[in-house]
Amino acid sequence: MADRPTAPELIEAVFEFLSDELLPTLDDHRMKFRTLVAMNALGIARRELEASNKVLLGEEQAADLARRIRAGEPPEGALQLLKEHVAEKLRVSNPAYLEKYE
Amino acid sequence: MTAAPWADELAEKLGRRVESMRLLPGGASKEAWAVVAGGERLLVRRAGGGVIHQDTLSLEHEFQVLEAALEADVRVPRPVAYLGELGGREAFAMELVEGETIGRRIVREPPPGLETQLADEVAKIHAIPPDRLPFLGSGDVLERFEHELDSVGQPHPAIEYGLWWLREHRPEPLPDVVSHGDFRIGNVVVSERGLEYLLDWEFAHLADPREDVSWPVVRAWRFGADDLRLGGVGEVGPYLERYAELTGRELEEADLRWWEVLGNVKWATGCLTQCRRHLTGVDRSVEYAVLGRMAAEMEYELLDLIERHG
Repeated sequence: MADRPTAPELIEAVFEFLSDELLPTLDDHRMKFRTLVAMNALGIARRELEASNKVLLGEEQAADLARRIRAGEPPEGALQLLKEHVAEKLRVSNPAYLEKYE
Repeated sequence: MTAAPWADELAEKLGRRVESMRLLPGGASKEAWAVVAGGERLLVRRAGGGVIHQDTLSLEHEFQVLEAALEADVRVPRPVAYLGELGGREAFAMELVEGETIGRRIVREPPPGLETQLADEVAKIHAIPPDRLPFLGSGDVLERFEHELDSVGQPHPAIEYGLWWLREHRPEPLPDVVSHGDFRIGNVVVSERGLEYLLDWEFAHLADPREDVSWPVVRAWRFGADDLRLGGVGEVGPYLERYAELTGRELEEADLRWWEVLGNVKWATGCLTQCRRHLTGVDRSVEYAVLGRMAAEMEYELLDLIERHG
């Protein structure tokens, strides 16, 4: 067991440094944009570390499903399963995106 | 002035004095230099050190496409000169244009009439005779994306599902036309007067006209303004009506569905391959890195389109 801050807490500290200290000093709009992208990346990493480790489709299962679909034989219920699988990825990468579909 | 080692070569080829030059920030596969030469503001596009994408045109061909587009009265920055090699890498010069290209800003306050102006431009491109540009390639679009997806090296069953659905529902093809290949908000220069210029011709190829027509409708290119299905700037109806007036190709919004799913497959795969530029070290960049996680947005959209309309 490591000392605190935990990995998510470290990520949060860097995020706050970028947003509160670095970003306000930047004039160049490209650097601002890249800093926002970097903050976004940190947010994804933090959410992934905090998410439960149980996943709907592991790498093996995803590979198997991908092969079956490529072979022209998607299993029954594939569409619903895939929607849930992708929604799970989005809850980490961009939770706000899913609200568009509510 | 941050002169490049090839500044003298440039002056000689242009036959003018180079008064200033500045490397613009951007990708490593192509450099863009803002140059003032003989009192004129130019943009010099030059090959970069990175690996060139398989499906992009050489700069020589891109220059010829710009010339053909200008002849066809398409709003493009004026091509000035193909320069051959500058410091050992291919380059050409075109007019440097100004205006807004950032999608998020354009959708905030789109100039009136942008829908029909987009239709005007794409109709003019599709009227360029293919034999004017004999080097443009075509090919099976689904095979191309399968191949690209295979290059990613991680399974993506949602994109596979999209490709499967597309194979099962393939519409009767329309004859190929000269296509821009990346026709959307983000690649147009806009002012308060409306559409000024169409940029980024490196993906030009021959394709079913619906490929270009549907591409700006893809959700990712609405830049968050989701209610306006045409690029976050307008309704699809007037755009298709204007396109039909000019080309005689009567398209309904439903005719674009297959292509909209295809567009999401294309951009999901594009995000994954661009992310590989970072992961493989070809072009290290946090922007490319994050694209790997953005692909899921297009995956969800394509599944949703199939569920609702499939």
